[in-house]
Amino acid sequence: MDPFGNFINGTVTLFSDPLGILIFFGGVVGGMLFGAIPGVSMLTLAAILLPFTAHLSAEHGIMLFSVIYCTGVYGGAITAILFNIPGAPENAPTAFDGYPMTRNGQAGKAVGAAVMCSAIGGTVSAVIMMAATAPIANWAISAFGPPEIFALVFFGLAVAATVGARTLWKGWLSILLGLMIAVVGMDPVGGIERYDFDMPYLLAGIHFIPTILGFFAVSEIFVQAERKATGVYEAPKLSVNFPSVAELIAHKFAVVRSIVIGFFCGILPGIGATLAAFMGYNEAVRWSKDRKAFGTGKMEGVISSETANNAATGAAMIPLLALGLPGGALTAMMVGVFQMHDMEPGPLVFLNSPDLVWVVFAAMFFANLSILLVGFLETKTIINLLRIPFQFLAPLILLLATVGAYAVRGLVIDVVVMFIAGVAGFFLRRSGYSVAGIVLGLILGKIGEQTFAQAMQMLHFEWTGFFNRPIAALLIVAALLTVAGSIYSAFFRKDRQ
Amino acid sequence: MGKLRLGHICEAVFWLALAAFLYIESFEFDRGIEIYKFGATGWPRALLLLVAVAAIGQFLFQFVAGDKATSGTVGAATDDGAEEAARQSGHSHFRWYFSTFCLLILPFLYMRAHDLVGMFLELDKEGIHSVKLIAAPVLLFVYLLLARGNHVGAILTLPLFFAALLEDLGFYSMAPLFIVGVTLLMGERRPQWIALTAALIMGALLFTFVSLLYVGLPTGNISPFYDLSHWIVTMIQ
Amino acid sequence: MIKTKTLLMSVGSVVAAMTLSAGTAFAGCATDGMPGSMDRPGGFPERALGMVVPYGPAGGSGQVAQAMAQAVTELTGVAINRDHKPGGSGTVGMTAYLATPANGYTVLEHIDDASSAHALDSGRPNPAEDLIPLVISQITFSQIYIRASEDRYTDWDSFVAWVKAQDGKATIANVSKEGSMERINMKYLTDSTGMKIQQISFDKGAPRYGALAGGQVDALFEQPGDVRKFLDSGTFKPILTLLHSRPGAFADVPSLTDAGFDFEPLLRFRGFYVHKDAPADRVEWLQWAFQKAFCEKSYQDFNESKYMNLIESFRDSDGARELITATIAQYRDVYKQLGMEVK
Repeated sequence: MDPFGNFINGTVTLFSDPLGILIFFGGVVGGMLFGAIPGVSMLTLAAILLPFTAHLSAEHGIMLFSVIYCTGVYGGAITAILFNIPGAPENAPTAFDGYPMTRNGQAGKAVGAAVMCSAIGGTVSAVIMMAATAPIANWAISAFGPPEIFALVFFGLAVAATVGARTLWKGWLSILLGLMIAVVGMDPVGGIERYDFDMPYLLAGIHFIPTILGFFAVSEIFVQAERKATGVYEAPKLSVNFPSVAELIAHKFAVVRSIVIGFFCGILPGIGATLAAFMGYNEAVRWSKDRKAFGTGKMEGVISSETANNAATGAAMIPLLALGLPGGALTAMMVGVFQMHDMEPGPLVFLNSPDLVWVVFAAMFFANLSILLVGFLETKTIINLLRIPFQFLAPLILLLATVGAYAVRGLVIDVVVMFIAGVAGFFLRRSGYSVAGIVLGLILGKIGEQTFAQAMQMLHFEWTGFFNRPIAALLIVAALLTVAGSIYSAFFRKDRQ
Repeated sequence: MGKLRLGHICEAVFWLALAAFLYIESFEFDRGIEIYKFGATGWPRALLLLVAVAAIGQFLFQFVAGDKATSGTVGAATDDGAEEAARQSGHSHFRWYFSTFCLLILPFLYMRAHDLVGMFLELDKEGIHSVKLIAAPVLLFVYLLLARGNHVGAILTLPLFFAALLEDLGFYSMAPLFIVGVTLLMGERRPQWIALTAALIMGALLFTFVSLLYVGLPTGNISPFYDLSHWIVTMIQ
Repeated sequence: MIKTKTLLMSVGSVVAAMTLSAGTAFAGCATDGMPGSMDRPGGFPERALGMVVPYGPAGGSGQVAQAMAQAVTELTGVAINRDHKPGGSGTVGMTAYLATPANGYTVLEHIDDASSAHALDSGRPNPAEDLIPLVISQITFSQIYIRASEDRYTDWDSFVAWVKAQDGKATIANVSKEGSMERINMKYLTDSTGMKIQQISFDKGAPRYGALAGGQVDALFEQPGDVRKFLDSGTFKPILTLLHSRPGAFADVPSLTDAGFDFEPLLRFRGFYVHKDAPADRVEWLQWAFQKAFCEKSYQDFNESKYMNLIESFRDSDGARELITATIAQYRDVYKQLGMEVK
């Protein structure tokens, strides 16, 4: 049957089942709430719900997770904007301009832009996903091996080094620190214990969720607390002025550009949505005539990163459903939901359970649409969190973060890691380093080293092997050009601030 | 000295020392892997080399240009508030850093207390528990002494202390104390407000996570804290 | 402490250890003879049990933990809360488990990784001595897989010939832990055939299977239960079974004996444990509950769906100790031969 007919069937199946409707709306509200409460995130909710999906049907379980994914990616933008605490790594670039907007008293505008752009990016991406999953899947499974994925990670890091830190050097130091943190634990080839300092719990490696919570949520609490202690704390200014339609139309090119970037980055397994958001933001700056305004509260920054990361949600389902390759932490948990129901995501799902696939596609389409409706309502209430005096909000956020960090793997060491990251973030941020860069380095570090090792094994330790594979070669050249270009402009361009 | 400040030198020393330390530590796992030429150390050592290069690059750049941002970096102008807060607080002199360091080391002393005592005494499981039950109040007392002179340092240390105690004493007993501690450090002095905050936050957390979602929070391993945790969990589930 | 009846059964099951059933189902189940109920000693358990699982909820261990917990609850009405603590090839979960009070309320799921870890470093707990095995409920073997559509080679003999012709450039996807069951078995294979093949390490299952499906590697080392979907859909096909006889479901796949190998392959096994100094009456109750639950219909169905019924998967406490001790000895021998540092 054609995609459109399938979509109608999926929609009918989705909304003709009372339990399905309940789960759908539960997912929409839950994803937004957990995304939007500082300290916890959609990943916390997903980790908590994972064991419960065993009691649901496979269809409902996968649908629930895909809905949480769509609305949670949007929800994470709200905390990025209001508190400088991205709910997930893909929301980190949103904070670059979103948080300054809050400090300038434009929180409502930033959140409104995030609502609109998330909905648009997500919906368009859901539509492309429905049309393109099957053909793209067939191509990617043979075209993207370890050498290509490594090249892509390298490219992603090269781009990220130019984002968020005060100097290119500090950008690279931030990323390298993240890459080094990823080394802790067992090496990806021989399982050899590295930097465990005789603490068995460190063998599990350092997970990125407590690290994100620490670098963003906890360090932000510390910064505010320092203000409070020195008596210069000001409560954030509140506003619920949403952006006008005209303002959004003025940014239509940014939206379209971010959809394209978001979708193509999102297809890539492992790093999709995060890379999408960083690239979306980076391109917005590169194309802008007013580069210096970025980072000071420019709405286009929020628009670019939020459109791109939601556009990546649909795209991330392609490698997941077609290849069984998760694009990030949440899609990795979806693999878990499949397996709990004795299914393996992959080409088989399309053959064996087309109904399931199309119910999920329909649910994602409507979840993105519902961001528009529920998002505006919810935002008006969430924004009031800012009214809670800081001395009461601080313990709440710290304890939520504790539960959030612990719930992922059930390890107390993760709570310790989170607070260490909080202290480290406090000192690094005041010296011009990029905590977003550290987190990206940490996430990409594991996959980077593993695919590098696999690529080397496959290419029999001959470096030139990368250049016999066109896609890998292209990506490596692009990465090298990015590095060279950024070094050139850091040294020779005269528009230093 | 160009445009260097003491802070810049400390920064460069920090990165180079970190890289050197991790490089030396890497000999601990310097074993070959049969199927992989670069072994377990190839990747981290390459990264450490790059850390050293970037740290030297940063140092030279600061020598020439001070605290300027490089062009071509995106969001470089972003002061997300942390730098401004640091400037306003005036917490950048050596004494402040030193006293903060002393405070921050306390939770780690607790985590390693049984190893330290274990160097002199044979400890069984019971013995380890006793050491921990003694170390916790002693170190907490030292913390309170040091905290009097360093408010921000105390704020940075308290959550780490909380995390260090979680494994042994459990979330259920420690979280209420933590809430009271944080609220006090943030400047709230009204007892009824502090009690209300603790009750509301604990109630909301326990209801949502333990009662509704069955998340197993850390119960601790040491009696009577372990038993108290299980009693609470059985009560509310 | 262990009743004569279970002792007798364990002898039977050890005898049956390497014998294969001809069909897919056994005539009876291993613990059919045990009593269907048992008095709770001193009221134990008064509250829900906890189960530490040193792997994530989605993998093989997570699934067996879920199935066993469900079966025990069906049998006894006692709820079991699973607590997943993944990392470090099971080390993290083991460490966390040993720190919990030895009151019988917390049990541990673990796999043969715990045995190989002890074989390499005797400072690590020995699951047969430092813990009490309640039951081993899954025992399975490995196979070599190729794409079903592969035309460069179609069976084990043509595969070996092709690999030799590639002069070390052929590849096979395997796990990323040195000294693990998978890598040692692979070592046996390459030594016995004299072929050189580059192993590519993948720490997660899905990318490992994707690599074979996508043509990134030439073959795959895996257990049948983990790739059942790919087998059922006809994407992968096995070309060698690492056992000395052919299980019924893979009757047309050559065994080690058929291929002319005489090494003893290492098996994957998953089981449940409790602290060795937990109160004896509680341990006895747990042994009854977990061994009896093995024969609950839900658990038997689960094992069948994972190809865990092809060889006898059940061991009671004594049978488990025997299996673990033999496994540790075998690993230690291999490690010494490989020149690895055995502590």
